Amino acid sequence: MKIIVCVKQVPDAKDVRLDPETNTLAREGVQSIMNPYDQHAVEEAVRLKEKLGGEVTVLSMGPPQAVDVLKQAISCGADHAVLVSDRAFAGADTWATSYTLAKAVNKIGAFDLILCGKQAIDGDTAQVGPGLAIQLKIPFVTCVQKIRDASESELVMERMMDDGYDVVAVDYPMLLTVVKDLNEPRVPSLKGKMRAKKAEIQVLSAEDVGADSAKIGLAGSPTQVVDVFPPPPRGERAILSGSIDEQVEQLVEKLAAYL
Amino acid sequence: MLIVDKELCVGCGICEDSCAFGAIEVVDGIAVVSEACTLCGACVDNCEVEALRLEGVEKNVQVDLDNWNGIWVYCEYRSGSLSSVSLELLGIGRKLADARGVKLAAVLIGADTGDTADNLIAHGADIVYRADDPGLAYFTDETYGAVLTDLIKQHQPEVVLAGATAIGRSLIPGVANTLGAGLTADCTQLDIRADDGALLQTRPAFGGNIMATIVCPSSRPQMSTVRPNVMKELEYDAGRTGEIVDVALEPAQLDSKVRVLESVQAENDDVNIQESDILVGGGRGLDSEKGFELIRQLASSLNGSVSASRAVVDAGWIGYPHQVGQTGKTVAPKLYIACGISGAIQHVAGMQSSETIVAINRDENAPIFDVADFGIVGDLFEILPKLISKIEGYQKS
Repeated sequence: MKIIVCVKQVPDAKDVRLDPETNTLAREGVQSIMNPYDQHAVEEAVRLKEKLGGEVTVLSMGPPQAVDVLKQAISCGADHAVLVSDRAFAGADTWATSYTLAKAVNKIGAFDLILCGKQAIDGDTAQVGPGLAIQLKIPFVTCVQKIRDASESELVMERMMDDGYDVVAVDYPMLLTVVKDLNEPRVPSLKGKMRAKKAEIQVLSAEDVGADSAKIGLAGSPTQVVDVFPPPPRGERAILSGSIDEQVEQLVEKLAAYL
Repeated sequence: MLIVDKELCVGCGICEDSCAFGAIEVVDGIAVVSEACTLCGACVDNCEVEALRLEGVEKNVQVDLDNWNGIWVYCEYRSGSLSSVSLELLGIGRKLADARGVKLAAVLIGADTGDTADNLIAHGADIVYRADDPGLAYFTDETYGAVLTDLIKQHQPEVVLAGATAIGRSLIPGVANTLGAGLTADCTQLDIRADDGALLQTRPAFGGNIMATIVCPSSRPQMSTVRPNVMKELEYDAGRTGEIVDVALEPAQLDSKVRVLESVQAENDDVNIQESDILVGGGRGLDSEKGFELIRQLASSLNGSVSASRAVVDAGWIGYPHQVGQTGKTVAPKLYIACGISGAIQHVAGMQSSETIVAINRDENAPIFDVADFGIVGDLFEILPKLISKIEGYQKS
């Protein structure tokens, strides 16, 4: 079984803020991490490999420093890692990103299964997984919360819905996006860390993957950001005072409109 | 590429200040661009000596942008009911259609939809495209996607809106990608730009710490998913008139490689928290699963639903569908009461758009109080029973 897992390096959300004075991102002390959902995707890929045999390739698109998250995936059990990195990808929206990843997947070769996190926590769009499946012309299932049965020919799984869940079955090849209920990611072993240290990460450019320059980066992106601004501030801290009974009394009065 | 003309650059630093991504810096009197550049062009617009320009980013503009007209809303119908966000979208869709002087159409896909199409007209739609077939009883991305994609190709609407729900956030990315259309997820505000009629799509990014406005300058349709509970639905008006068009389906459109074996509805406790007007959220401060019972009682006294912080879900006191925050759901109810939730940014990101926020916590320095409209500092086990009995008393009176 050949499995590809797409991972993204993202800024740790708690560090990211827009400076309301200058309207620029405050960047000091921002840590980069592997997108949390992607950690569950890597874990599931490694579990499926352990059950059915095969190999796991992790794939990321990003700046050169994104090798860090690929090494992390190797320390957790992935076998190979590929980074697509090129200044020409700058400004890519989810369409251009799916196109670029699809080109990279074609370069990697045959696969049975692609796993992605449900969404990245910096953009929160959840669009690249389905987009990649469409580009590759394979079926996809989003928000998978449980794999009930994995065989050589198909997967039976639960996909999270707003009102419960659906149980679906799909033959390979397919793409899944996963939520964190799926599994508990393992902590890298010492051996894994050693392997990651030595691992060679294949780095591919736009030309290497045969990407059409009109379909990558800003030029290939149908959407364009025209403005960024801080969200409207909420009011001042308004802590009630008095005895607990008095505070409860005040609160119920304030909330009368909702009762 | 962002090109800096070294002859023209005076090293004034205006570009530094105009870059939201910290990607341009003046070094030795000349602006230098880093890897972080997203080619947004903000610096180009602000440069007073015209030393900056974007090169090689000309988009292939679709030649026929003007041939696309009309505002469309995908109306989600599942297990015999219409999602409430569909009606909210018809509300904003009506405004956009009126601003553009075009028609508002609803797309209804499902089985046994009964008089739903009439309901959509009464809520503002001029046209309803109805694909009602037993083969569409269960949602799959392929079948629903094929029907919606083909309808869009045939009728060429300029805008397509859908709810940012589990279905919307799966179906719409696939359709947009197939069409090569621009899609903006989780919009909280939609407007028409006066000078060219483009759709201005505003959404939170980076967990709600930043708002971004996005346009689709070169392609149609302009597609958005919109968060539930943000837009306002129109009053039901049986006097509104419209046309219902039954869509003829091809067998190929009903083919799916994803086979739905079973659709499991959640239990009563598990209502969709994104659609609730009132949410009572519980956190670690409740100490135990038994303590969490107080949250259910408070929610029930308010006729609201129960949500939780990540810590509580990880502890197994309540299921993942109730988790609010960065790795859970984003909610915007009318009232959010956070009990024993410290208010880590990951949680706040998922609830800060709520209309009114109440925080109850024993730690007066908890960050949750920074986003609260009303706060009570104290012991939950003393406060909550009093609050519940007060609310029940108020409702009886």
